[in-house]
Amino acid sequence: MTVLDLPSARQEAWRWSDMEALRAAAASPQAPAGINPADLFLDIDGPRLCFVDGVFEPAHSRPGPVEVTRQIAATDHPLGSLAIGEGWALHLGAEHAATCIQIVHLGTGGENHVPARILLADDAVATLVETFAGTGWANRLTAIALGKGARLMRSVRLVQTGGFVSIRDEAEIGEAASLVSIFLGAGGMGSRIDGALTLTGKGAFAEMGGALLTSGTQRQEAAVAVRHEQIEGTSRQIWRAVAADQSVASLAARVEVARGAQQTDGEQSLRGLLLQRTATVNLKPELEIFADDVKCAHGATVGELDRNALFYLQSRGIGEAQAKALLTHAFVTDALARIGEEPVREAFAADAAAWLEAAL
Amino acid sequence: MLNIQNLHAEVDGKEILKGLSLSLNAGEVHAIMGPNGAGKSTLGYVLGGRNGYAATSGSVTFDGQDLLELEPHERAAAGLFLGFQYPVEIPGVSNVQFLREAANAQRRNRGEAQLSGAEFLKLARAQAAALGMDAEMLKRPVNVGFSGGEKKRNEMVQMGILNPKLAILDETDSGLDIDALKAVGEGINRIMRAPDKAVLLITHYQRLLDYVQPDFVHVLAGGRIVRSGGPELALELEREGYGALAA
Ligand SMILES: Nc1ncnc2c1ncn2[C@@H]1O[C@H](COP(=O)(O)OP(=O)(O)O)[C@@H](O)[C@H]1O
Ligand SMILES: [Mg+2]
Repeated sequence: MTVLDLPSARQEAWRWSDMEALRAAAASPQAPAGINPADLFLDIDGPRLCFVDGVFEPAHSRPGPVEVTRQIAATDHPLGSLAIGEGWALHLGAEHAATCIQIVHLGTGGENHVPARILLADDAVATLVETFAGTGWANRLTAIALGKGARLMRSVRLVQTGGFVSIRDEAEIGEAASLVSIFLGAGGMGSRIDGALTLTGKGAFAEMGGALLTSGTQRQEAAVAVRHEQIEGTSRQIWRAVAADQSVASLAARVEVARGAQQTDGEQSLRGLLLQRTATVNLKPELEIFADDVKCAHGATVGELDRNALFYLQSRGIGEAQAKALLTHAFVTDALARIGEEPVREAFAADAAAWLEAAL
Repeated sequence: MLNIQNLHAEVDGKEILKGLSLSLNAGEVHAIMGPNGAGKSTLGYVLGGRNGYAATSGSVTFDGQDLLELEPHERAAAGLFLGFQYPVEIPGVSNVQFLREAANAQRRNRGEAQLSGAEFLKLARAQAAALGMDAEMLKRPVNVGFSGGEKKRNEMVQMGILNPKLAILDETDSGLDIDALKAVGEGINRIMRAPDKAVLLITHYQRLLDYVQPDFVHVLAGGRIVRSGGPELALELEREGYGALAA
């Protein structure tokens, strides 16, 4: 791609985005990553797919029910619409289960684009873990459609050493279906995690949340909109941002409740922690409610580590850096606790711990 | 064991300790009593090394080492334990995780072997049982949702696990009902009454001293020890108040 037509910071929805970092990542030359993709899979049984610079690598894959296909993006999202070409699709029939599908995305420089489609028929169940490693600009569009009673648990970790990761999720969640997507940004890359979830069926459950950890001059961002169109829907957006040095972490979360979407239960919790006062956390919680019988709990706060807690830990023999790491880890724990499978949750916690050790 | 000479200390640029001297030998229990605002908690924080509680002059040695030179966690590893007047709640960190990390950090600092998970749990369960604390509470986040009495019992469980040489206990008796007071008093005696250990009990009232008999009682007022004596001094204070003595 020669000219990138990217959103500008003058657009409200993109004002915290680091398109400079994205451009630089896209223009970066490819160089051997020195990472064996096999090391990026968790030691869990299940199908595996590996993409290196956006190209499917059969040698490191055993796709099982996942199909590798070319796709056209059906979105007008400015970044998502660029994700066309070879990608993957998971179509599960009624009452089929595919557990712990792992997808590894390794970049060595330059830009790569991978579209994905997940279609779960009624009562189908899938769990998915995605890992972004290496460098360069990884751009992804994931379209998700869940039939009645279908359940998808998805965990995504961004641990690229540099470059940029942009993710656009577009999901439709049917009657009594459940989507949980948890993200961890614990690498050196910039990021934009962008989602539009629509609860299209009665009693649907939608969750998108996670933790962004930033240091140096890095900028990471999540921008999520959840739309309740039917009655008795539940949504959760639980995000934690930890920012060190001169970095910037931004969280924008929106809940829309359509007219008639009664008995909606929405929860939005955005919390930021500044490890130094030179860092920035931006929070933007938004509620747009057109129904009257709605419960929407929301909170947005930014703070520093609790001095009392820090001294309490130190007074028991824990050194300052370790005490800060413990408290910071506790701060992001609620967001990662939503991950259903224990080995995945532990792997993500270990990534967060490794980040903390380096940052503190 | 602990030797404080002419200690001056400031909090927020305001001098709170104004030439405090005090000496404790191994095997002794000392009580410090004094009116609110006298500087008792400040003394505990200065000895613990809390940020913002700076000694401006004087000296403190602990087993011959310059205590004021050490970081807070190094003081703990050297054998100092500070029981908090207001134990801190730490959401997201379990008691077990906190105490295991603390015990092992101290051991690492002293060049001792680490406790395994199983060894630690055994130790923690035994200490919880001795203090009448439900072992389930070890799994809960540190002090979160604990009652005042449970927090103070938890301080004593921590002391039992960490097994310090010198315990400075800041109003460990406040907010306790009579059963908890008895449990805490017995805990202090069991854990700390030994020829190679010492206790500095900071308290407001005589009642804890019914369970933990002090060898010496000191009155702290206006940032200084204004009077010292034996256990009878505590009774005299109880009868006559601080007013007359501090004057
Ligand atoms: N963090 C603080 N900032 C400012 N002043 C403080 C602080 N902590 C204590 N002080 C002051 O220091 C004095 C002694 O307080 P403290 O040591 O808590 O007394 P005690 O424990 O004997 O009741 C009081 O005048 C109190 O207001
Ligand atoms: Mg006090």
